[in-house]
This record gives sequence, C-alpha cells and structure tokens, in this order.
Amino acid sequence: MVDQLPNLGREAEMLAEMGLSSIDELFADIPEHVRRNEPLDLPEPQTEEEILREARMLLSSNVSTVDRPCFLGAGLYSNHVPAMVPMIATRGEFLTAYTPYQPEVSQGMLQAMWEFQTMVSELVGLPISNVSMYDASTAAAEALTCAVRVHERKATQKSTIHVSELVPPHRMSVIENYTQGAGIEIRLLAHGEDGLLILDDAANAAGSCGVYVEQPNAFGLLDPGIAELKSIIGENTALVVGVQPVSLGIVAPPGDYGADLVVGEGQPFGIGPTAGGPIYGLFACTPAYLRQLPGRIVGQTRDSEGQVAYCLTLSTREQHIRRHRATSNICSNETLIALMGAMHMALLGPEGLRTLSQRNAAASAMTREALLAIDGIEAVHPEGAHFNEFVMRVPGEAADLLEFLDEEWGITGGLDLGEWWPELADQILVCSTDQIGIEEIEDLVEGVSDWLEAVK
Amino acid sequence: MTNLFSFRGAAEAGYAQPAPLDAPFAIPSALQRSELPKWPRVSEPELVRHYTLLSTRSHGIDTGFYPLGSCTMKHNPRLNEVIVQMPGMNDIHPLAPAHHLQGLMSIFHEMQEMLAYCAGMDVVTLQPVAGAQGEFTAMRCIQEYHRERGETQRDKVIVPDSAHGTNPASAVMCGYQIIEIPSLANGRLDLDALRAVVGPDTAAMMITNPSTLGLFEPEITDAAEIVHDAGGQMYYDGANFNAILGKTDPGLMGFDAVHYNLHKTFSQPHGGGGPGSGPIGVKAHLADYLPAPLVDVVEDEEGELWYEWVDPPKSIGKVQQWHGNAGAVVRAWAFYRRYGRDLEKMSEHAVLNANYLRHRILNPSNEVRAAIHAMPKDGAPTDVVKHEFTLDMSPLKDATGVTGKDVAKRLLDFGYMAPTLYFPMIVPECLMLEPTETESKEAMDAFAEDFLAILAEDPEIVKTAPHNTPVKRVDEVWAARNLVLRHPCDD
Repeated sequence: MVDQLPNLGREAEMLAEMGLSSIDELFADIPEHVRRNEPLDLPEPQTEEEILREARMLLSSNVSTVDRPCFLGAGLYSNHVPAMVPMIATRGEFLTAYTPYQPEVSQGMLQAMWEFQTMVSELVGLPISNVSMYDASTAAAEALTCAVRVHERKATQKSTIHVSELVPPHRMSVIENYTQGAGIEIRLLAHGEDGLLILDDAANAAGSCGVYVEQPNAFGLLDPGIAELKSIIGENTALVVGVQPVSLGIVAPPGDYGADLVVGEGQPFGIGPTAGGPIYGLFACTPAYLRQLPGRIVGQTRDSEGQVAYCLTLSTREQHIRRHRATSNICSNETLIALMGAMHMALLGPEGLRTLSQRNAAASAMTREALLAIDGIEAVHPEGAHFNEFVMRVPGEAADLLEFLDEEWGITGGLDLGEWWPELADQILVCSTDQIGIEEIEDLVEGVSDWLEAVK
Repeated sequence: MTNLFSFRGAAEAGYAQPAPLDAPFAIPSALQRSELPKWPRVSEPELVRHYTLLSTRSHGIDTGFYPLGSCTMKHNPRLNEVIVQMPGMNDIHPLAPAHHLQGLMSIFHEMQEMLAYCAGMDVVTLQPVAGAQGEFTAMRCIQEYHRERGETQRDKVIVPDSAHGTNPASAVMCGYQIIEIPSLANGRLDLDALRAVVGPDTAAMMITNPSTLGLFEPEITDAAEIVHDAGGQMYYDGANFNAILGKTDPGLMGFDAVHYNLHKTFSQPHGGGGPGSGPIGVKAHLADYLPAPLVDVVEDEEGELWYEWVDPPKSIGKVQQWHGNAGAVVRAWAFYRRYGRDLEKMSEHAVLNANYLRHRILNPSNEVRAAIHAMPKDGAPTDVVKHEFTLDMSPLKDATGVTGKDVAKRLLDFGYMAPTLYFPMIVPECLMLEPTETESKEAMDAFAEDFLAILAEDPEIVKTAPHNTPVKRVDEVWAARNLVLRHPCDD
C-alpha cells in the first residue's frame, strides 16, 4: 500500500460531506471516449526501505569522479563542497518553498538571493546579477538574445552575433536553438594555431549586436586578447564573456576589461558535477541590459513600517505578466542550487577563493609539466597560459589512450577532443582541479607511459 | 537583522583548504586580478546561524499549508533527498563513458518509459530542466517537423486566454506569433473561436487540460480534430497532470506532444524557485526531432542489459548542455517507485482534496458565502473541479473594498501561504487554490474556517495585512523605482 496520503481510508467521509458516494463521481466530467479504463500497468508500490536499497544498488554502479583520479572537466568540475552547504540549504523552509511571490513570508530566501546577486556581482565585476539560469549554455544563449534586443536598433549588422568557434558544440547547439527563433545570424570568430582569438578578424564583429567568447576557452587557454576586445568592437556591440568562476580568484573579472554581460557555469561553487544537473548558470550585466534581462531578480525595499525588506522586482519583464512579450520564457530556475553556491562562496571568502583558484592553477601546471616530460606527449599550445585545463597531443588515438587508462589504471584521463571536433582525435583536454594531488598526477604519468610502451 | 556583509572575520575563516601544490603557474599580466571580490569573511558557526535565521523567515510546505494553485505544492518525501546525496549522484560527470553511468542511465530509461506510458506518448526526453523549457523544446520539435514537410508558412500558435504565461513566451522564443482565443463566459474553451482562427498558418495549439480554472475540457478531442484538420499540432501543457494521472491521458485526448513537471506531479522540491525538470513526451511522428541524446537499452549475449546514449536522427540538438536535471529525475524516480500503479490514487486524492476544500469554502450554509463568486460562474453546469479551483472575490471587493490580494496577505497571518493571485486573468479578483493530495482533512478544515473568518473581519484589518509576518506589507513599487539590486560593499 502506498503511504504519503493523509486522507487514505477517509475518502467516504469526505465524499459524504460533499453529497457524493464515490471517487468516480469526481471524474464524471471526463468523457467516456478519453478515459483510461484499465488500472495503470505499473509495478506495485514500494516501501521506503525497498526503494532505498535499489537506489543504492543503482547509484553505486555509477563510477564516481571522487573515487579515482579524474582529469575530466570540460565545463563541469570536480570540487569539494563544504559539508555545511547541502545540510543547511536543504532545510525544509528553503527546500520546499515556491518562488517567493509573497515577500512577507519569504524574506529569508529573498535576502539569501540578494546576497547571492551581490557576491556574483563582485566576482565578475559587473553591478547586476540575476538569481540564476538553468546552466552556462542557456545563460550564454539568453545573454545573446538579450544583447540583440538592446543593440538591434543601432546595429549595422542587424540581428547578427559573433561567437567564438571554440565554443563547445553542445553549448553552441543550445545557442542555436535559442537564437533561431529571433532570426539571429551566428558568425564564427576565428582562432589561430596558438588557440587564441585572431583580433584582426574580431574587428569584423564591430557593428553587430554582440560577441560571445570564453575565458578560459575550450582549450583551457587564458586569452589576453579578450581584454582588448571591447575597444575593438565598440560601445554598440555587447561583449559577452563566459567564465569558469573558480578562475576569478586570480584572473581578472571580465567587468574590468569591458564585458557587458558575463555568464558561466556556477557549479564549482555549491554542487558537484551531478551528471550535469541540477546546476546553475551565472548571469550578470551592466545596467544597460537590466530591462531586457531574463529570469528573476531581487531588489531591496521597505515594508509599510519602513523596515528593510526584499522582493522580486522588475517582474514586468517576465512571462507571467508580459506573456508573449516577455524577455524570456524562464520561470522555474535553479534557485536552490544558487543558494548552495552562495553558501560556498561565503564560506570561502575572498582569500579562500584566491586559494581555491591557486590550487586549480597549480595542480594543472604540475600535471602539464609532468605529462609533457613524457617522450611522445606534446603540448598543443606550448606558449599558452592556462587555468586548470590544457590540451595534449598523443601519438595515436586519444580514445584509445583514455580507454586504456580507464580499464588498466582506473583513471578518468580527460576528454577526447575528437568527440567535439573530429579532426582533433589525437588530442585530450586534461583538467586538474583542486581535487588533484601529487599521487593522482603520478598515477596518470605512469598510466600514460604504460600506454606508450604498449603502443610502441 | 542578520547581514552577510557585516561579517569581517579573519581571512579564510570559513574553511581551511589544503595548500596549493608546489608548481609555478603564470597568469598573463593583462588578465591578473588586482582586487579580490568583497565577499564576507565568515566562519562556519556564524554562517550556519545566518542561514538558519534566514530559513525561519521563509515559508515552505514543511512550514504550513501551501495552496498555491497551478504549482502543485505537495509534500516532498525526504527519502528522495537522502538518495540524491548518496555516492554516485553529485559526483558523476556527464561526459564520462557510458559504462560509468549505467545506474543513472537505467533510471533514465525507466523514467522515459514510465512517463511515455502515463501520458499516452511514444517517446520521452528528460533533457528540459523546467516546464517552460519543455514547452520550448516541444515547440522546436514541432517547428522542425513542419519545416521538413515544407510547411514553413505555419507561423502561428494558438493559446487560450487562460493559458500559463510560459506558453506564449515559449512559442515566441521559437519565432512563432501568438493568437490568443477568448474563453467562454463559463471559463470553457470556445470551439467557435478556435475554428475562426485555425488555418494553413497554424503550427500548433498549446493548452492545458484540466484548464487553469481546474475544469476538464470535455470537448478537447473536438479541439484536437479542428487543429489537426488544419494541419496543426496539439501541445499539452502538463502543469495540471496531477489531476488526471491514470484517469485519462494526453494521448487519448489527441495531443501530439506534452511536457511533464517533475517538480509538480513527481515531487521534485521547488527550492524557492527551482530546480525543476520538464521532460517532454511526443508521438512517434515527432520523435526523430527530440533533443540528443536519449537512453536506449540493449541486451547482450549473456542477457545483461546495457544502456546507451542514442541521438535521434533529425534531432534539434541540445536545449541544456548536459543531460538535464538528473538529480530531479532521480528524485522523481523514487517518488514514482513509491506509488507505482497507485499513482492513480495520487490523482484521486488530489481531486478529492480540491473538491473537499472547495465545498468547505463554498458551502451555501456559510454566512459569508455572498462574498465570493464561484468560478465558473454560479449556475454553470459544473459540480466538480479537478485538482484546483478559482474563487472570484469581486463581491467582497464591491461590498467592503477588500481585494483578493488583501485576503491573500491576511492568510499569511494565519501561517498559510497565499493562493495564486490574479491568475488566470480571465477571473476577476481571482484566488486560485490547489491543496494537493498531501493535505489532511483537518488541515483543510482549519484553512477553510480561517478563510471564511477573514471574509467576516473588519475590512481595515484585512486591507492592512499582514500583521504577524517577519515584515509588514512589502513595497514592491519602491523596489522597482530604486533598484537596489546588491549590497554596496563600500563600507
């Protein structure tokens, strides 16, 4: 028998009070020809104990990124989330609340989100942040449609955006799906052999509605040219920068070099890779974009007695008010995960963030140096500056090496770039986060050397 | 009041980290951060108290009755939270090889099959992460379907005026124009209005059934026929699926595509605004366009099941970069396993509770009954509602000046979340209530009593409500005029 239903066994009493005698009468308004007449052909209800047992069996058959050396990043990053974060964020008052439409009884979550907005704003160097998008890809896509709405009138390249050709294909696909409806044309920004943006070509983006680049880019490269991009594309073209937020403890916030909008995967703050969701997308901007912003935003205000209070604001942009003229269709977002992010950021504090950034950069530098010392392994971008990822070229198929590491050494070695770009099938994107130590690096080096021996 | 930015403790007071490895790295000089973000410096004991205090200033289902219509605020079983904190969930990477993710993929496959079966659809994707994204995804599939058939002139999407705001917003994001059709005076779908607008430019109709008034549209198959005859597709907004699971399904009603709200029907917690999960199901003719990838299962020579990712042949690609909100899918799986074939009972109790609460409020013997118009209008041929119902508070407003919003705010004083306010827009002074199946008879009795007592109160008390909440009525206009969107961090 199923539990969870407080009125089980009391149906007759409740029906009688309404002058009814059977549950069926409550469904009499469903015409005969659309009724399901057979009971659901689904399994018997299970008890809590049975479900728990099966869940443990199924989930434990997944291979965890923390039980083995894991050098796979590519947009989602292994991390340590402080124990406090999931415990306090899942307090029932937060976990089981809906969107705070009634601010008088939602001050806690509203204040927490206002604080989140403040910390994101400080992190990326722009004054305004919303309370989250679904993920980095939808944040990037909606930043671009937002940019088109703001700049279309003055643009000389109407309904046109320029996107780095190094945006990973999955993210690019989301951008295409979100921009095609508005008839937006996507042109690609070229990169040189060194993996960096070709700034002379980027000048072609001036006069378009927006430019989207990532810092670091998909090869893990920090690109100094992006810091010059705003002066190249000019005031009337939005500079949208995608970030890896952990890098911003040591890397300049894009707001400092002229970004108009900043987006990114908030995930490393607050939650593990989680198979890709729920995570949360960061979305920040300058005031010029505020009235075209997608998603929820919290403002500070006053109550009728003059006390400080918080509420959702600028709702007239949103679908529940503006309907087909809304700036976006987003309604449910990722607030609870953003709350986890806020808790994690607050616990880190400014210096803790810097330390976390340094841990990533140092782990990656050590991994890179160790791998490149192996005869046969080459850096694809030997001159480049990296944050926590870099690309190595291997003598053979990347997929073959990764399979060998996985099966023989129990190491998740990184991303086969051939999965994204078939011509790069001999290249691996290697990520080292704060969770990588000397032992993991030594294991990887031994495993790679072992493979090289085997394929010789 | 507690203020995060007033904490000024020592550097790294929050949590100690291992030292960075001893390896030099260089950040290009043009990209070096010169000043750290002005985040607080706060220890764990202080931060736990800060957020605990904030939580006491928030209202969730756990705190009290939450009759927020259209949002299906049912109890969130705690088992599901335990499960998603287990190893093998937060610590798995979606780009890992498929053999690292077999447990998750088996849950995905089971959910794809179960959801398709329950809605009378053929194929389900779990990728969309919210109801609105599900709508967007399905409309993109429909758009590609029409395009492939050379019917690019189909650029109109029809929505009833009682539709959720996300429906028109999602269709517009695909590039569609919206035709809104008015409802009949009794709140029902107007088939003549529909006939008048369909044509060779019709791409689809988006509709929820039961409607946002909580009423089942008996002529839904006629509507489907009208749209299909014109060459359009029928889209089912699954926000109200909680009312009908096991009793009828969108497939039987003639729909081609549907989204599910796992954060409504399948108890994924709303988390103060999200995460959600909005899988979509489609009939076979739309399946080739679904986002990539889906989970498929094959049996190997030893009879072992093997799950693999499969890209539909004409896929629209991705709407979220990864595999959707996997954590929400796993919670929904645990919820579904708990009910199994008794999911039908879930819907029965949701409808039983809605009708019971409605009866308690509209019982003619109540003296204050005159303050409310029942919706649909009194005298309309409707005895039962489905999972939710609306109240038109305009008689109260006419008599005393107390608005629907005032009543909603006064309910907060009694420890209740307010009903959905002023939606659907076709009902004047609308309050929309949805108790869900997890409220007890006693909880609803108490609510009805308090609700009716408010209608008989001194209007001044109601108009100035709330009085017993952490803050008094919040000035939303001040917020929009002054736009204080972050802490200044300058002191």
